Amino acid sequence: MSAENNNLVPSFVVFQVGTRRIALRREEVAELIASPQLFAFPHTTPMISGVVLRRGRILPVLDLGPAVCGAPSRSTRFFLVVERNISGAIEKCAIPVQGACELVSGIMFPHTDIVDFVVGRLDFNGEQVDVLDLEKAIAMNAANYDERILATEVLS
Amino acid sequence: MTQQANSGLAPRDTRPKEQVVVFSIGDHSFVISASSVQEIRSTDGLGGNVVELDRPVLRKVRHIVERDARSYYVVSGYEHFHLPLSRPTSVLILRNVPVAVLVDRIEEMAEMRVLLGLPRSFCGEERTWYRGLTVLGHKVVPVAEPRGFLTVDELRRLEQENPGLLHTVVHSVGTLRRERERA
Repeated sequence: MSAENNNLVPSFVVFQVGTRRIALRREEVAELIASPQLFAFPHTTPMISGVVLRRGRILPVLDLGPAVCGAPSRSTRFFLVVERNISGAIEKCAIPVQGACELVSGIMFPHTDIVDFVVGRLDFNGEQVDVLDLEKAIAMNAANYDERILATEVLS
Repeated sequence: MTQQANSGLAPRDTRPKEQVVVFSIGDHSFVISASSVQEIRSTDGLGGNVVELDRPVLRKVRHIVERDARSYYVVSGYEHFHLPLSRPTSVLILRNVPVAVLVDRIEEMAEMRVLLGLPRSFCGEERTWYRGLTVLGHKVVPVAEPRGFLTVDELRRLEQENPGLLHTVVHSVGTLRRERERA
């Protein structure tokens, strides 16, 4: 494949959250960083486990574990920095990742399952990797969290 | 060879500074602007100045405390921040708001040189609780918003369920104290 053609093939970052390998579109990922410390403090936002300091800036840590694996991720030093559009403003967030991250090119096939936050599937060396719609994953997990809180309040 | 003093040439840190009180609840540290704290007392020293609320509409507020002819709703710090049960030993009596906050420990007084906005990803109650985040000794610490301990709506609910209590406590505690002194 020529370089010109290669540019037309979309790129994805494949990474591991808990026991699951998932992918994000290359454009959504800014960098992979190592940060020595996660700072946690009380809050009520689901999936946010704290913040890390990066070049004097504070990055919220967005744990995808509850959304894609049903459990918080193990602690890690490595974070994938992604850009989110929150109410029209771009904000960088750090996603804790386990194991190696890979940059791959490939064709994404539309997903036929009912999982809303998976936009497609990538065939990567014979391995099927789901490509995530980050905002949908966050929104769905937040909705589930609200339902759990409501159920707890009703039961208590 | 004598090293020349060059303090006059050293760049001065012109960033605005703010004195803060560092306190902790459970395993978490927080800071609050020293200018928003009227007084810091040990919980042991409050004694007879505390009155139980007739109708505690909020889990985090069960008492009123009187200090210097003014009364304050006593807010449990661990309940406010949804933390596990802790053992408060100090109370921060705030200025300009009728709030006294129970905290586990006062850690230190410090100088805050930077106040960073809470990232937009945080979208829960913390947006009311905190003015932002600061960095103290390479550690990120939330900066408590004094008006966030009891919102306008929460104050209204407390007043509705316990009408006039905040104002009458000063009188009744004063009377009680005088009666005790006479006895």
